[in-house]
Amino acid sequence: MPLGTLDRSPPPFFKQGPSALSKLVFCSALAVFMMVADARLGLSTPVRSALASVLYPLQWLSQQPGRAGQTLSDHLASLERAQTEAQAARQELAKQLLRGGQVEQLTLENRQLRQLLELREQLPPSSRAAEIVYEAADPYSRKVVLDKGALAGIERGSPVIDASAVIGQITRVYPLSSEVTLVIDRELSIPVLNPRTGVRSVAYGEPALGVLELRFMASNADIQVGDLLTTSGVDGVYPPGLPVARVSHIERRAESTFARIHCQPLAQVAGARHVLVLTPLQSQRPPEAAPPDKAAPKAKGGRP
Amino acid sequence: MIMRSGQQLLLPASPLFIGASLLVALLLNMLPISQQAWMPDLLALTLLFWTVHQPLRVGIGAAFCFGLVMDVQQSALLGQNALSYTALSFLGIMVHRRLLWFAVPTQALQLLPLLLATQVLELIVRLIAGDGFPLWSTWLSPLLQALLWPLASVLLLMPQRRAPDPDANRPL
Repeated sequence: MPLGTLDRSPPPFFKQGPSALSKLVFCSALAVFMMVADARLGLSTPVRSALASVLYPLQWLSQQPGRAGQTLSDHLASLERAQTEAQAARQELAKQLLRGGQVEQLTLENRQLRQLLELREQLPPSSRAAEIVYEAADPYSRKVVLDKGALAGIERGSPVIDASAVIGQITRVYPLSSEVTLVIDRELSIPVLNPRTGVRSVAYGEPALGVLELRFMASNADIQVGDLLTTSGVDGVYPPGLPVARVSHIERRAESTFARIHCQPLAQVAGARHVLVLTPLQSQRPPEAAPPDKAAPKAKGGRP
Repeated sequence: MIMRSGQQLLLPASPLFIGASLLVALLLNMLPISQQAWMPDLLALTLLFWTVHQPLRVGIGAAFCFGLVMDVQQSALLGQNALSYTALSFLGIMVHRRLLWFAVPTQALQLLPLLLATQVLELIVRLIAGDGFPLWSTWLSPLLQALLWPLASVLLLMPQRRAPDPDANRPL
């Protein structure tokens, strides 16, 4: 019986169940096994999906105070601010209209040129709107959870963009929700292109600083602060030409062959609410026309 | 019954209240503000509280299950919170007979090393999994949990402190 409690039933004297130590050993072993199964074997998806579905109502409930506060503050925001925002949106729309007109013409021109050169047609990515429900409460990684899942047709590996740029990639799909790893997460790398110079590289997330890092760029590479980086499209996941980040800091060190380059993500990684989930490029492509001839000699290590 | 002098004889704990308090702690842990590294883990604190006060009702098994739930919620490696909650619950059971003989602030002081040990265990698991070092403010979290122990002692024992025979003078 717990100390100082007026309990009506006496504590069991003889039938005490397994000892605390054996319970500890059993549960720890189970936890370690699950971690290995999750990290190395990838067996944990059913457990995760089931638990996530059970948790969904609770998650929805825990978001309500924040939502209510936001709605209230939206209501109380002054008319003047709303008008300013509408004005800015209208100006932006006018700009987009100009660009939109150019795009029509360029698309046509592009198609004709592609037909002329017999290149494969580029497919426009199809998209699905989703809302960010919450940010995963994990100080070690940067992930957000969306309100659409496998039931809404979200696929694993799909790129996710917000109003201005690439924000991340879908890494886990549950029936009713899905998880996006943000571009600044340690686990995510994204192939980028510098449109000014045409140089391709890969940007890695740096969650401690909230930036992306371009690794393995030579110290004398042609890159400047303020350069825009867009997706290069060579990975078969991200459609080419989406803005990703802007170079914010370059450190050229004498003792190292590589420069240290930090880029500020253009997407609102901390504040976005509405995002678009694109279909990965690879799944849209028609199957390969003919398998490569096996008899053909491979040009492996063939140096002149 | 042997009791600490001056201690109130408490009513039996209602299993319904224990369950509800754990659920509320889970909800509080899910709030958007909980993603700050320094935020105390209220679910761990509530589990530890019930492990110390009601070891027959809330034990290592419950801690393990709630840990799994937190793993899915944080989309962390499955089993990592489960391991640290299990360890914390075991440590709680180890000290529960001794702990309740002390005054509440001393209890908090005695629980601080336990909470720190759990944090270190979590750090080791994270390092093995390749997550790297967290922000320094992570270390505030066990400290705040220990500071919240007196508050938890007041709030969670409230229904047990009611009068056994309520009348007009003592409605609660």
